Amino acid sequence: MIEGIAAVAAWLGVSTIVLTDGRLGLASGMALTTVALTVIAWQSAGVFDAAAILIGGVVASGLRFRSGPGGWNLMPPGSTPRLVLRVGSGVLALWVAATVMQGSGTAFRFVAMIAIALPAARILATNEIAAATTATGALVLGIAVAAATHEASPGPAPYLIAALVAAGAALWPRTAPRGA
Amino acid sequence: MAPEPATLVALMVAGLAFAVGLAPTRQQQRRLVIRGTTGLAGAAMVALAPTLILAIPVLVGLGVLHASVGGRSKFTVRLRPIAMAAGLLALALLFAGVAGPDVLQRFAAIGAVAGLAAAIGVVPYLHELDPDVPASASPIAWLAFIGPLLASVAVLRVEQVLTVDADGVLGATLIGLGLLNLVWGSISAWRTETDIEAWRYSFVADWGLALCGFGLAAGDGRSAAVLILFTILLGRLPLYLVWQQSVHEKVPTERPINLVVAGLLAGSAPFAGFAGRILLLRGATQIYWPLAMAIAIGLLLWLPGSLRLGRSIGLPRARQAVLVAIVIALNVTAGLYPLPILSAAGY
Repeated sequence: MIEGIAAVAAWLGVSTIVLTDGRLGLASGMALTTVALTVIAWQSAGVFDAAAILIGGVVASGLRFRSGPGGWNLMPPGSTPRLVLRVGSGVLALWVAATVMQGSGTAFRFVAMIAIALPAARILATNEIAAATTATGALVLGIAVAAATHEASPGPAPYLIAALVAAGAALWPRTAPRGA
Repeated sequence: MAPEPATLVALMVAGLAFAVGLAPTRQQQRRLVIRGTTGLAGAAMVALAPTLILAIPVLVGLGVLHASVGGRSKFTVRLRPIAMAAGLLALALLFAGVAGPDVLQRFAAIGAVAGLAAAIGVVPYLHELDPDVPASASPIAWLAFIGPLLASVAVLRVEQVLTVDADGVLGATLIGLGLLNLVWGSISAWRTETDIEAWRYSFVADWGLALCGFGLAAGDGRSAAVLILFTILLGRLPLYLVWQQSVHEKVPTERPINLVVAGLLAGSAPFAGFAGRILLLRGATQIYWPLAMAIAIGLLLWLPGSLRLGRSIGLPRARQAVLVAIVIALNVTAGLYPLPILSAAGY
């Protein structure tokens, strides 16, 4: 039950990152994604690993809350492809996680796929530094959560590295490069 | 660290030393040392990671750092290839790790190769190239400096998590992509308009051979890949830096040195590229002889592009001449006696 709620929250979180351009929207999306990934990591890995995800995500969303284009800027004009991406990828990931892949942990598999694919797609499609770095943070946290797929557990290292990269990406770059 | 990645780290150190030695001012040398050691440290961390999934966040971090250094290209544009690579590699590992039909493992193999191609910057994921950006901030850093180690580690690690059937798909996909890059790169290096694009495509053509080598599971294929990566790091990269350093002053010349450089770039005897090509053809013949024929035909396309690049470096003088001489000597030595490199790499 908790995993199911976390999966929906993760989808809503990364969807918010995909659909917004403003710092409030991006920070909120990152925060929601972080909470959802923390719950999933807690279930699949452990408390320490989940704490690393939480700290990294909170720092990243906090930094984004303080910098970037103002407001929410939710679904600005021209957002239809993003909306289609959000819904389409959600349906596809749910189908693959629930019916193509086998075994327990459908919610985990769904979250892993959605938290990797949607932020990566966002980075490919945006020219906004704030959106790209926020999506980078969500991407690395998603990758860290997916690390628990393999039987040989990688330990806390991927969670710690992902937390560092997520927080670091929110800092970079301080100024936009000049020129076209 | 496994012997092959350890050897490539040593080659990266040598390549960085060449680049620093070539930089004309103290300031440029300092900048290159900082950027180069950062790249080297990141790549070494990728190699030291016990699993590939652990290495991917490091790769993303390296991508963010690289995207943020200099250059006119936008930060977001420079971040895209690494985001794409990280996403594809992570999804590939996810598909390889879950229970399900065999098709998931095959998707994992294809996704891993696609992710690797995106990270390195070969066809069909060529990174955006700005002629005015220094090599350390341009896609050449991925193509010629970080790429060799990344490819070696990624292929080794992915092979460990795939089933035997999917390993075959991985090899076939690597060979297919390698042949595509070989033909595309060598023809483009010859026919493209600008010299910088020609240099970039020549790296792509070299990568075609290396990917074919990685795809051939036999020992000869991997040995060939190591030698080709040697020629990228300690042959083509230093010569590219010589060309780039004074690109606006250079007048193409047709002196003996240009012919020797063209021979080195084309992988003719007695340079290291020749030994790599022979090993690759032997490995391909052992597996499927028509593949060896396809590679041999592809190798013939190398010459026109290499002659063009050889002429483009002009007449090297002073420090550049010394460096070109060292590069030629190293490549001749490795071509005549490649055993130490192959032994160090575990072959």
